[in-house]
Amino acid sequence: MTEKDVVICRCEEVTYKELIETASKYNCSARELKLRTRASMGYCGGRTCRSLVDKIAAEIESGQRNQISLKYQPPVRPVHFGDLGRVEE
Amino acid sequence: MSQRIEDHPVLGAINEKEYVAFTFNDKEYKGLKNESLAAALLANGIRTLRYHEESGTPRGIYCNIGHCFECRVTVNGKPGVRACLTPLKEGMVVESGGKLPTPVRDWRAVHE
Repeated sequence: MTEKDVVICRCEEVTYKELIETASKYNCSARELKLRTRASMGYCGGRTCRSLVDKIAAEIESGQRNQISLKYQPPVRPVHFGDLGRVEE
Repeated sequence: MSQRIEDHPVLGAINEKEYVAFTFNDKEYKGLKNESLAAALLANGIRTLRYHEESGTPRGIYCNIGHCFECRVTVNGKPGVRACLTPLKEGMVVESGGKLPTPVRDWRAVHE
């Protein structure tokens, strides 16, 4: 296993290699990178790899510092639907 | 051999040593009561807690503080429970997760 094969997003199993290849091919924003590769879209809600995906997109996008970082979406903490809707048994 | 740290330099020694039985994938194990499920399994030599739903690659403890959900298991029939945050209780039934079927993708591979 080389450095490039490191899994960045473990929920959707996206490697560092896939991310840098996609980012350089499309020269895209962090959000576009996320939508193209599904990194940060998995079970944990991007709480593990969001900053890494942000960083990869920011570094590769032709040196312009106009990147908007990925947003945080409620619920910021994972909750069961049962806890939200509270179905009595 | 158990690699459980029984006398931690900062946290001190474990005073309560009540071993309880639980099952993981239908096999019976013993662990300390109220230690985390992930710790109990690790002390029993189990590092693979589940397999990735899509690719089937093994997963275990990753962050161990409850934010990455890599250690999620099914406890007493409730899915998506983080093993690293769940205190071990007597008689817990723990099951790991495995690869899920991908019928649409399989169908497309043949028909497109």
